[in-house]
Amino acid sequence: MNGSLPALTPGLLLAGAVTAAAVSLWLLLPRGAESRLARSLGLVLGAVALAGFIAAGRRLGSLGEEAVFLTVALVAVVSGAATIVTRSPVYSAIWFALSLAGVAGVLLVLGAQFLGVATIVVYAGAILVMFLFVLMLAQPSGLAPYDRVSNEPLLSAVAGAVLLGLLSLSIGRLSTDASCCAVPSKAAAVTGAAQPPAPPTADDPLAVDQVARLGGELFGRHLLAVEVAGVLLLAALIGAIAVVTRGEAALEQDRRLAAGGGNR
Amino acid sequence: MMPLLAAGSTALLHNALLVGAILFALGLVGILTRRNLIVMFLSAELMLQGISVSLVAWSRYHGDWGGHVLVIFVLTVAACEAAVALVFVLQAFSRTGRLDAAAWQALREATLSRSVDHALPESDAVPPRWPRLARAGVLPPADEDAALEREHV
Repeated sequence: MNGSLPALTPGLLLAGAVTAAAVSLWLLLPRGAESRLARSLGLVLGAVALAGFIAAGRRLGSLGEEAVFLTVALVAVVSGAATIVTRSPVYSAIWFALSLAGVAGVLLVLGAQFLGVATIVVYAGAILVMFLFVLMLAQPSGLAPYDRVSNEPLLSAVAGAVLLGLLSLSIGRLSTDASCCAVPSKAAAVTGAAQPPAPPTADDPLAVDQVARLGGELFGRHLLAVEVAGVLLLAALIGAIAVVTRGEAALEQDRRLAAGGGNR
Repeated sequence: MMPLLAAGSTALLHNALLVGAILFALGLVGILTRRNLIVMFLSAELMLQGISVSLVAWSRYHGDWGGHVLVIFVLTVAACEAAVALVFVLQAFSRTGRLDAAAWQALREATLSRSVDHALPESDAVPPRWPRLARAGVLPPADEDAALEREHV
């Protein structure tokens, strides 16, 4: 694979990429004083880390598939990193929306059409707009001091690097041979482009009527869980309203106590 | 109809799991370091996105619906969590006037020491450059009644 660099095993490559990513995050996270040198060094190290991860990734079938997956994955990862290093929380939320678009693209490449669209609609359309509303309600003008410093960036970057290192090393140990460990009964019908395309089974996520099948699965096998999720949504709705109203009452009481404790 | 990518291919599974792991680790770093409550919640959502990508990748590999169904429930729980958490964030903001997680460090363990901001830069914030718009049209005549009414609204 790496003919020019025989010493560069995949494990070593991943370790280097993870280390570069951690140092880059540590340099880029808000740490009080802005330093142009640290910023540009962090960007360069981030690019190095991304290149390492791309090199550690396995090659998909053709160049087109590779390019599509690489594009959406890069959008997701780069804007995810920008979400946590941006000082302004409004920009942070907007980067997160872009990261959601990348994740939706990855889900589409993985064949999850309904989930890709639902991620955009539910997350970017509803949840993120709710976040932005709260930001507009609560954000003081300008950059707050607590947005320009962060808690223990070095230790957190090391913790993230350890986690990512463990995860990516165990992911890298996945066998390259698809036939060794796939569940034969389910995956055999959809394994490999070399075989003639099998007729879509009930479990084929690439079938034409995929959304209908997902709905059938959801409201068939998982009907009880759907009901429980509905109860959960109702409870969250009522709980949010209850906390708002009771919280207002408690605030009012606090103000009265602070204004004149002797009146009570 | 031939699928775009062969299902059950380990290369696609490997790459998607790697993307999911990177997103999860980024969210972890964000929730550990950032002090703005809303950015902390955005980081938690980033971790959920990483989980979703991994679940769908496994679901694709095995050719069944389990991961898809789990991701739908992840979306549901994330919506509930965001609603309740944002209510708490708003309550916390109206009590302290800040979105700072360190404003609540009075709730820490008695054995832990107080975290103090050592160096808070005051002047490094670049003043924003707003666009200058050319004045166009005429100034509408002032309506005194409307101005009076607006005060009561």
